Amino acid sequence: MDFEPKILGIACNWCTYTGADLAGTTRLQYPQNVRVVRVMCSSRINPSFIFRALQLGADGVLVGGCHPGDCHYNTGNLYARRRLATTKKILEFAGIEPGRFRVEWISASEGNRFAEVVEEFTTQVKNLGPQTKLKIQE
Amino acid sequence: MTDFKKIEENLKKEAKRLLESGEVTVVLAYGKGFDEKHPMPFAAKSVADVDNIVFNEYCNYNMARYLVRYPQGTKIAIAVKAADSRAVIQLIQEEKIKKENLVLLGIPVIGMKNPKTDEVIDSKTTCGMHNPVLYDVLLGEEVHGQKIVSPYDVLAEYEAMDKDARWQFWKDQFDKCIRCYACRKACPMCYCDPCFIDQNKPKWADKAPQSPGNIMYHLTRFHHLAGRCIDCGECSRACPVDIPLYLFHKKVAKECEEMFNQVSGMSIEDKPVLVNFRVEDSDKILE
Repeated sequence: MDFEPKILGIACNWCTYTGADLAGTTRLQYPQNVRVVRVMCSSRINPSFIFRALQLGADGVLVGGCHPGDCHYNTGNLYARRRLATTKKILEFAGIEPGRFRVEWISASEGNRFAEVVEEFTTQVKNLGPQTKLKIQE
Repeated sequence: MTDFKKIEENLKKEAKRLLESGEVTVVLAYGKGFDEKHPMPFAAKSVADVDNIVFNEYCNYNMARYLVRYPQGTKIAIAVKAADSRAVIQLIQEEKIKKENLVLLGIPVIGMKNPKTDEVIDSKTTCGMHNPVLYDVLLGEEVHGQKIVSPYDVLAEYEAMDKDARWQFWKDQFDKCIRCYACRKACPMCYCDPCFIDQNKPKWADKAPQSPGNIMYHLTRFHHLAGRCIDCGECSRACPVDIPLYLFHKKVAKECEEMFNQVSGMSIEDKPVLVNFRVEDSDKILE
């Protein structure tokens, strides 16, 4: 059987989540591997969420936020950009494939873009195979 | 080489003057331990205490650790070496302490030794600086003419590793961890109360000293110190099982410097990089 990755999607309420909603209402087809969690802003994401998700069995983490400059709270995603870039470097130096973590800016009107990103990222994680390094073994 | 006896004399003289005039209520310096090799962090609160102050090549503790334990507004004098003064600057940036409440007794020093191994502490495990960045009184001659070595040179070997080998290296290191939290206790920047690892709601990681919890603790701690770590190397010297924590801290500091063009603890005008942003930050940093 083919490997179907589990992907955690964390989406900001105002842009990416609404974009995902649009992708749904326009009936776009995209892989079902992403489980989306809604947060109020991409700067709400504690980097530990990402480490914890990988520990609890996620094969990849996709974070979506508003385009820089479009944040509902004006500056939230600008802080998030610096923070999540650091998270990526830490994962990389710890020896975890950086391809398992992706940050993407998707606005509320970009339903197509959301479907595209999910498709791309799912293929990418599929190629990387199951994530076993951080995953807690029972 | 640094004249340690002379610095000790100057330190005592200065501490005595400050305490006598009532300019400060406490002087943070080094005191006698059970032997030469193990001096202890020491807080002199009266003129009588001053005689117990010592300074030798094993006094490598970062006294900035103890600043945040005093109530805001306490007048404190503190002995600072190069990295310690950067820690003080970083704490000022984070508004934990105020410059006007401090008297910084700068100690330019070269040839500090690690009491565990008796090796000279250099840019391999620390920032490799010799002169304090910020001080009010200088207790010795400034060190000049030393060869400047980038503190990031030691990383090359690990950056060149294959990612699976690097993962195995770090996993082996973190598996040694006994979760004594000495790194957290020694770190001048770890002042959170409670620390994320002590929280039960949410429970971020397992508290047993086993692999998953250890990895979670260390990775998150590296993240919390991103752009704040001043590379004193105190965490790795405090570690009873010799985990090279300084390597990871150096790597994160290097990346932050490359991404945001700012070195931690160099100017009291700066803001820590992760509580700051620039609109023109590039999206390339996320790739």
